[in-house]
Amino acid sequence: MSAYNLAGISFLLFALAAAGFLTCGSVVRMLMFLELMLNAANIALVALGPQPASQAYAVLLFAIAAAEAGVGLALVITLARSFKTLEAANIKELKG
Amino acid sequence: MTPAAVYLFGGLAALATLLMLFQRNPVKAAMLMLTALLSTAGLYLALSAQLLAALQIILYAGAIMTLFIVALTVMPQAWRDHPARSPFLKVLGLAASAVILTELVKLSAVLKTVPRSLDFSETGALALGRELFGRFAFQFELLSLVILASIVAAVALAGRRKQA
Repeated sequence: MSAYNLAGISFLLFALAAAGFLTCGSVVRMLMFLELMLNAANIALVALGPQPASQAYAVLLFAIAAAEAGVGLALVITLARSFKTLEAANIKELKG
Repeated sequence: MTPAAVYLFGGLAALATLLMLFQRNPVKAAMLMLTALLSTAGLYLALSAQLLAALQIILYAGAIMTLFIVALTVMPQAWRDHPARSPFLKVLGLAASAVILTELVKLSAVLKTVPRSLDFSETGALALGRELFGRFAFQFELLSLVILASIVAAVALAGRRKQA
């Protein structure tokens, strides 16, 4: 098996998650797809990088993903509270 | 591990993500995301990254999924999810991601000659810890600052009372 196949798997996952991110309207769902995009990047890192170092970097990325999910969901809760909607298309004002 | 395991878990993750695209119920979409994350853990096992597989289950499938489910339950707006996007924008998004995929695959053609052995090798906590506290010690310490900042931001954002 060459590194090309492994890269293809992670690129496919990334593109599917990006398609979801670009097409769905709800902000919670967008955040979910964002996590999946980060997950696909992690797969590419583990599959293609030099072994112990790339895995250590993947551990760092896990922590980044957790921090991002925490702040993102707090933002979404604040948005939902002030706009009473979770559809990105319905959020038009900049002043909350 | 055989290449079959890599294709199996990779295909399962791709299928779950694809089904998530067409799922309207947010909790069912979250369960499909859980499937994708768990099959990623299997993929890590197939790539001989045992500790990462365990961390994937604990952190992604455990902590982050719980956070999403809690967020879905505290926001009743998530259940009245009426799509407001026009079909044109959806087609545009799909086309953009298709372009991203083709470009990435085209760029990675140089990897065709690079072999990747899938033989079992043990990358234990010791080797990872040596990397994290040796070469990546600065990044690791910076990460603790990032997490502290994100905790403060999350508490400040979600705990804020609504102004009248």
